[in-house]
Amino acid sequence: MANVSFTNVRKSFGDFTALESLDLEIHDGEFVALLGPSGCGKSTTLRMLAGLEFPTSGDISIGGRVVNDLAPGKRDIAMVFQSYALYPHMTVGENIAYPLKKRGLKKPERDEAVRRAAELLQLEPLLNRKPKQLSGGQQQRVALGRALVREPRVFLLDEPLSNLDAKLRSYMRAELIELHRRLGKTMVYVTHDQLEAMTMADRIVVMHGGRVQQFDTPDAVYNRPANRFVAGFIGTPPMNQIEGTVQGATFVVNSHRQPIKREAFAASLVDGPAVMGVRPEFVGIHDSGDGLPATVRLAENTGHETIVTLELPDGARIMSRVEAGRKLSVGQPVILRFDPAGIHLFEATENGARLNLDIPVAATLSQSA
Amino acid sequence: MTTIATDPPRNGPSPLERSYSRLGMLLIAPTIVVFSAVIVYPLLAAIYLSVFSIYTPTLEGEFVGADNYIEMLTGGVFWSSLLTTLIWTVGTLSLQIVFGVGLALLLHQNIWFRSLARSLVLFPYFLSTVVAVLVWRWLFNDLYGALNHGLMQVGIIDMPLDWLGSMPNAMIGVILVGAWKYFPFVVIAVLARLQTIPENLYEAARIDGAGPIARFWDVTLPQLRSVLTVIILLRAIWDFKEFDLLYLLTGGGPVTSTQTLSLLVYQEAFSLNRMGQAAAYSVGMMLVMLVFMILYIRRTKEES
Repeated sequence: MANVSFTNVRKSFGDFTALESLDLEIHDGEFVALLGPSGCGKSTTLRMLAGLEFPTSGDISIGGRVVNDLAPGKRDIAMVFQSYALYPHMTVGENIAYPLKKRGLKKPERDEAVRRAAELLQLEPLLNRKPKQLSGGQQQRVALGRALVREPRVFLLDEPLSNLDAKLRSYMRAELIELHRRLGKTMVYVTHDQLEAMTMADRIVVMHGGRVQQFDTPDAVYNRPANRFVAGFIGTPPMNQIEGTVQGATFVVNSHRQPIKREAFAASLVDGPAVMGVRPEFVGIHDSGDGLPATVRLAENTGHETIVTLELPDGARIMSRVEAGRKLSVGQPVILRFDPAGIHLFEATENGARLNLDIPVAATLSQSA
Repeated sequence: MTTIATDPPRNGPSPLERSYSRLGMLLIAPTIVVFSAVIVYPLLAAIYLSVFSIYTPTLEGEFVGADNYIEMLTGGVFWSSLLTTLIWTVGTLSLQIVFGVGLALLLHQNIWFRSLARSLVLFPYFLSTVVAVLVWRWLFNDLYGALNHGLMQVGIIDMPLDWLGSMPNAMIGVILVGAWKYFPFVVIAVLARLQTIPENLYEAARIDGAGPIARFWDVTLPQLRSVLTVIILLRAIWDFKEFDLLYLLTGGGPVTSTQTLSLLVYQEAFSLNRMGQAAAYSVGMMLVMLVFMILYIRRTKEES
């Protein structure tokens, strides 16, 4: 068993608190992504798990055993760095064999392990090259090889794909998913790229300001964001957040009354100021009729869809996602209507919590249909 | 039918390229003139002088062909002096490297006095050789030197030692002073390289299970290899031709036991007034240094 848990872990550097009271329970064999903007504490979390940083307080355990006082080499973990951190004077084969050599394995055993790793990662023709002679993608694979050759209980990956170009990155994403499936090991993956987190992880830890904002499946993080930060961080473009007032069964924005289903929201939803969250795909653009008047500011055609930036009379901006062929000109007045199925309400505070009752999204969709 | 317009084939560089290369030559011309005057001319002059028997005060003398070179190769003075030079170079350079690398590793640690120590360590290197040697001669003095006094106080010796006037003490003395004077160069160059070694490599090694000693051998030393090669070659060239420190400290003595090739050349030219023979020695010395220089040039080419 190689479940990983953080219990009440705090980390501060002098006066700066990087992490406050972190509690995480990562299951054995799970692929968990730590996602957040720079400075959110995700790398610190990973580095503490690796043993490269020490928690100020709290316990970190791997497989039920507290590892706070274990040196990195004794934790039975392997780490892949963003810069790959390959030993430049060693060949690919020597790089991969290094952790085994440090554990005192004999040369024939090392060679056999290196051969198996090289076969898995298609590195056989490169074993005698130096890292400098390899492309970024090849170096990446060597770093993975060095990690998996020792068969660790937990793999730690620190933004491993961010130095690769877009095409190679999407290829390596698929490779990593496949590798995880094949090895079945616990993997903790740090990234600031939500696409990587959404496509690869079983569960995502969304972090911000040294706190966990939400720890849930990619589906839940997208469809049921726990608060305004998660709503505004996940999704490209992210969820629109419109300030207004709840009045009975309506949400009032600029004298437009958007109907809402009161029963779909928590009891804490009372009449008064709130924030409505709507993903761009739930913002409909119409020429006339009832709705919220707005002006087209920008229409970006990506080929398979058009991302439209709209401006409300009070200057607030709203993004919409419509089909690719849609003709919209800048300055054109339009009417916006929101699909009730896609409406989230948040408390009106800076990082207000979500007020929807957690009914599965599929159910809400069929209700409104 | 459409015709595709193509540029007419051109021969040689375009007018713009030609004007750029003219400007380039104009810009390097001053350097070439100065280089020729202070390097190329003296070099050629030394080779020219080496085939004459020249009396230094008048700079006149007759053509003697290879006589000076024959004396150099058969006379024995050149060879014993070359041996002295090699002992001095290897001795002082080894100490410079050992202390330089050691101190650089120490200063690279995160210790509170690091920035102060980094400036202090440069002190011997920046101190004028004359001043440094005068202080060292006072320390080494056999009548009132602090070194003898200290050694006698703690009971290591019971009679004052003649430090610079007897062998092998004189050679040990100059080697020590040379190491003291020039090890800061090694410290600074190694320290600069140490700071560029990515921290990630040490972290990866720690995760791979490498302890502090394994990290030194497997991460630090391989990363220092190229800078150490360059330092060793450069310092070997500089120590080989060292003059002022040795001249001021022992003047080559006792008798000729610390007389390196630089001092031999000086003595031939200005004490014995045999400029032609001195020129021949200096050409011989240059040929030896050429070996180091070729190694250095090849090394730096490999780097780039």
